[in-house]
Amino acid sequence: MNAGGGGRIATDVGGTFTDVFHIENGRATSIKRRSTPGQFEKGVASALAAGGVELTGIDFFAHGSTVVINNLTERKGVTTGLITTRGFRDVLEIARGNTPDIFNAYYRKPPPFVPRYLRREVAERIDHRGQVMVPLNQDELLSTARQLAQDGVGAIAVCFLHAYANPAHERQAHEIIAGALPDIEVIASHQVCRQWREYERTNTTVLSAYVLPAVRAYLNGLQSDLSAAGLKSDMLIMQSNGGLAAVEAAAANPISLVESGPAAGVLGAAAYGRKIGERNLITLDIGGTTAKCSLIRNGEATIAREYHIEKTPATAGYPISTPVVDIVEIGNGGGSIAWLDPAGSLHVGPQSAGAEPGPVAYGRGGRQPTTTDAHLLLGRIEPRKLAGGDGPPDLTAVAGAFSTLAEPLGVDVLDVALGTVRMANANMVNALKLVSVNRGHDPRDFTLIAFGGGAGLHAASLAGELEIGKVVIPPHCSVFSAWAMLALDPRQDRIVTSMRRLNADCLPWIVDTFANMERDIRREFSGNAAMSGEIACLRFLDVRYRGQEHSVEVPFDPAADDMERLLDRFHSVHEREFSFRLESPAEVVNFHLAAISRGPSASAEPQDAAGAGNASIAATGSRPVHFDGHGELQATVFERSALGAGAEIHGPAVIEEPDSVILAPPGASASVDAWGGLHLRLRSA
Amino acid sequence: MDQDIFTREIIKGALATIGQEMFAAQKRASMSPVIYETLDFGIGITDAEGRLITQGMGIPGFVGALDGAVRDVLDKFGAADVHAGDIFMTNDPYGGGGTHLSDVTLLKPVFFDKRLVAWVANKAHWTELGGANPGSFSTTTTDVFQEGLQFPVIKLCDRDTVNTGLTDVLRANVRLPDMTLGDLWSGIAALRVGERRLAALLEKYGCETTLRAADALLDHGEQMVQEAFDRLPKGRFTARDCIDSDGLGNGPFDVAVEIRIDESRFVADFSGTAGAAPGPINCTRPALISAAREVFMGIVGAGISANDGCFRALSVLCPENSVLTATRPAPTSSYFEAMVAAADVMRRALAPAMPGRLTAGQFGSVCSMVLSGNRSSGGDPYILVQPLVGGWGAGADKDGENAQFCVGNGETSNIPVEIQEARYGVRVNEYALHDAGAGAGECRGGLGAVLEYEIRDEGVELSTFFGRGKTPPAGIAGGMPGSVNFAVVISGGAESEPLTMASRVALKHGDRVRLYTATGAGWGSPRQRPAEALADDLRNGYIAPAQAWRDFNYRGP
Repeated sequence: MNAGGGGRIATDVGGTFTDVFHIENGRATSIKRRSTPGQFEKGVASALAAGGVELTGIDFFAHGSTVVINNLTERKGVTTGLITTRGFRDVLEIARGNTPDIFNAYYRKPPPFVPRYLRREVAERIDHRGQVMVPLNQDELLSTARQLAQDGVGAIAVCFLHAYANPAHERQAHEIIAGALPDIEVIASHQVCRQWREYERTNTTVLSAYVLPAVRAYLNGLQSDLSAAGLKSDMLIMQSNGGLAAVEAAAANPISLVESGPAAGVLGAAAYGRKIGERNLITLDIGGTTAKCSLIRNGEATIAREYHIEKTPATAGYPISTPVVDIVEIGNGGGSIAWLDPAGSLHVGPQSAGAEPGPVAYGRGGRQPTTTDAHLLLGRIEPRKLAGGDGPPDLTAVAGAFSTLAEPLGVDVLDVALGTVRMANANMVNALKLVSVNRGHDPRDFTLIAFGGGAGLHAASLAGELEIGKVVIPPHCSVFSAWAMLALDPRQDRIVTSMRRLNADCLPWIVDTFANMERDIRREFSGNAAMSGEIACLRFLDVRYRGQEHSVEVPFDPAADDMERLLDRFHSVHEREFSFRLESPAEVVNFHLAAISRGPSASAEPQDAAGAGNASIAATGSRPVHFDGHGELQATVFERSALGAGAEIHGPAVIEEPDSVILAPPGASASVDAWGGLHLRLRSA
Repeated sequence: MDQDIFTREIIKGALATIGQEMFAAQKRASMSPVIYETLDFGIGITDAEGRLITQGMGIPGFVGALDGAVRDVLDKFGAADVHAGDIFMTNDPYGGGGTHLSDVTLLKPVFFDKRLVAWVANKAHWTELGGANPGSFSTTTTDVFQEGLQFPVIKLCDRDTVNTGLTDVLRANVRLPDMTLGDLWSGIAALRVGERRLAALLEKYGCETTLRAADALLDHGEQMVQEAFDRLPKGRFTARDCIDSDGLGNGPFDVAVEIRIDESRFVADFSGTAGAAPGPINCTRPALISAAREVFMGIVGAGISANDGCFRALSVLCPENSVLTATRPAPTSSYFEAMVAAADVMRRALAPAMPGRLTAGQFGSVCSMVLSGNRSSGGDPYILVQPLVGGWGAGADKDGENAQFCVGNGETSNIPVEIQEARYGVRVNEYALHDAGAGAGECRGGLGAVLEYEIRDEGVELSTFFGRGKTPPAGIAGGMPGSVNFAVVISGGAESEPLTMASRVALKHGDRVRLYTATGAGWGSPRQRPAEALADDLRNGYIAPAQAWRDFNYRGP
């Protein structure tokens, strides 16, 4: 770890860019390089080489990766077999039977990842209380697994009914298959999910098996490449719950990496917030194709248990039951395309020009106007400093692209550009409301923390719309997810379904259940160097009124809580989220334990802001810029890297850094904190 | 500079978001699986006069159900007797937006500066409303009075004061009072969320701007639909089908339609449809209009959420007191069977002319079932109400979907087996695709499903509401018919006759119930099906070797 005072590195591999953040001898460097799809691990090595990073002096190496989501969305996983309880092999294909595109009689159901002929059944049965009704037929299991092997599967998923309540049969099955077929990967549902709902759990297990060989090869390959290049420490892997795990643990539960990079950003925002004394934050991460929002209360991010890939308003997609930082993602980023529907209404996104061809301004063949193009026309991005394009943008072509929208609307080109930005803002405001207002939180009680390449251009306007008084743009904001990995603690989440009515006698049961979960999790932590720090546990109960299906998450503290306090808390959380409370009895559904190793890695300090405390030294000139609701104003331009701690800026201003631009509207004032973060205070505050 | 068009777009987006939010609020707060899993409910926002501005819904069957209810409130109370803080309630099957008594509509007026500017409303299937049968719907009722409590457009809340007399009546008259009151509260929760969000929107953009945006939203719906009209086939399209039984042994009941489409009008004329049935499978005119709207939205494929403006081009004609336009006091508790039949016959008329958008016949029934009993452990009463998945018809370029809820059931989702076993006194032995050996075609029909329950308690009762128990769904362009829906009870080794519309069949510990849903119909001649598709069908067990030979002339690879 950091004991030797050596260097620390975090690498975040996205679909488009590989980001590296490196701290050594008090000096921080960020590197951004194009990713290398197909061989993402090579991209890491080349980005490190490009930055001239010497690995021998590194004693902390964190890694986030898109490898899982990439294997899933491009269908590059291994041929997978599924073994289920007799009578239930088709659960994977029946799914939930729903048609999200409700009027569409020509709907196409998403096909399962395992075709029917590779789905097999064995005799066994455990009931919902965990009692064995029919013992596992081990001979049948073994011959079934051998048949699947003959049919050419590279991995086998095992999912038995009610295994969340008692995984004994799944454990036996796993042991038998692993023993008999050492060349085939096997994974059972209880290893990835301990919650009820058989379709969601089966699908999660199947997707885990599907990516397992690729993930293991990727992680082992990367680790050995890095070792060969001189890295002496073990790599830590970023998980979707915001925790860091050792390579072996990550490979054993590969689906836990599904939202690796974005989770780091949200948890990093929470960590940064703790440093600057902001414990209630709404996070906003704007990239090329999407914007992602999340909410942090009392310094902690929310972990969701329901996650989907490929789900849209028109298709059901595939559910994954794994703890994922609760992120709302919408198809609005810098590359989002502005377009008119047949009735002449303007829309922005979710179609994106992506990195190729990219916005019109990139000059690589893009013809449809994007949000980035709109910012250019509005003077917000200095044309010479546009990142990502081939040479200076052709502004005539950009204006021409907008004129195809302006003519049918009967307005001029600048109006459409402004309209495009306003529509994009409106979409993002709706997403920000989904994580705040819709869950009973008033955005005015929060600070907006914005990062990713496009965040600085929108943050102030969005905050204005939501009457948020303060915006924080952290340092290194365009590689913030990588930065974040150096500020995070290793973390493990466990969720177990176990139902019981809440009354005075069940307090010991609750305390015991958590104690057992804690013991298991500590056993996993022990012997793992990365998790040697002090372990702090957070405990949550999913509670609902008897008769309800959906529950609310209620924090539980075994040291301080009695049943009365727990129930009071439940009623008030329920009222906040659902607008009413009832006299009905309450019941527990799930136990959720989060164990966080507050280790030395947490001491990773961001580098102090090194520039001048006097902002005027960082000013490089001024130019006309269009601000929402103010029209065109002459704005002072600042170079962010030259701004030191304590520097003060007054809007209208533009603050530039290599991969992003921050707008400070008229009336706003900005100051720089000790780590280089920019705090923007808006006039309405 | 005219920024107003963009403000309008932003308000339109915000209105749609409010609809989704109300929907989520009701779903999450509900106590009935019919609401939180089956999603048998819809929410909507209308303008002051009751024109639907936006909706959030799980099933399309309620499209147009809420605007009619608002108009009924205004007709009965008049604007002068509508106050801030009021909540109205109706479940009149024959009135505005009516379906059956189980679907209760709650409505709340929204005021701005003391002026009535909008309504927020929801309509949801409450699990229990009393009446002769558990779950308040049956195959045997002969008039509305047997079907449960009626709320003939009444005030539930007067200026924020709940009518506790009414909630006491509810509590006393239903079998699962906590669940019924829970349904009530979840509905109110959605209304409160909607009212709050709408008030904030009006506050932010001003009343006039917001209302103008709502008007623009209706015009936009009309324009999008008109645009899509160009792609519709023009002319007259007819089809005839039947509803096999009304639950009392009567039937079949003819359902006929002629659809007339010209450059700007879409008329669905159901003349020639049978008169109202003695049993409860009738639907009323409002439900028929909802069915036509659902089909209409599907075929124009405008890609927008439905609002009042979308339907300006649509007319629905049907003589009074038919099986699709029943009048008081005809029984309607299983109305969904006639409603599905109406939608299906429209699709059947148009499908040959609209390949790639419509399919051959589907399993064609909600296939609802009710299991009621008392748990042996603890003795709590339970009522398991759920629709079933079945096979969809083949399209011109795709096989039918396997095991989906009935076309038109939207976001309806099955209740997980693990939850059913934990919650009700049942064990599930099998939940699988079922090969009925039907639906052959160049593209073949989707497979239905089989669901087997083993009964763990005494005194359990089963009711089934399966349409298409005799007449299978029809193929197109040489495609073969699908199969039929049915259930059997296996008791002491003996198997019952096939059941379709079965009322309260007594079951005992150890009995098994097997529920089979139909395979959809095929599209195109089976002889045209490619050999590699057939090899894949055989390998996956989607068809058996015998059928491959019989229908497809294929002996295997």
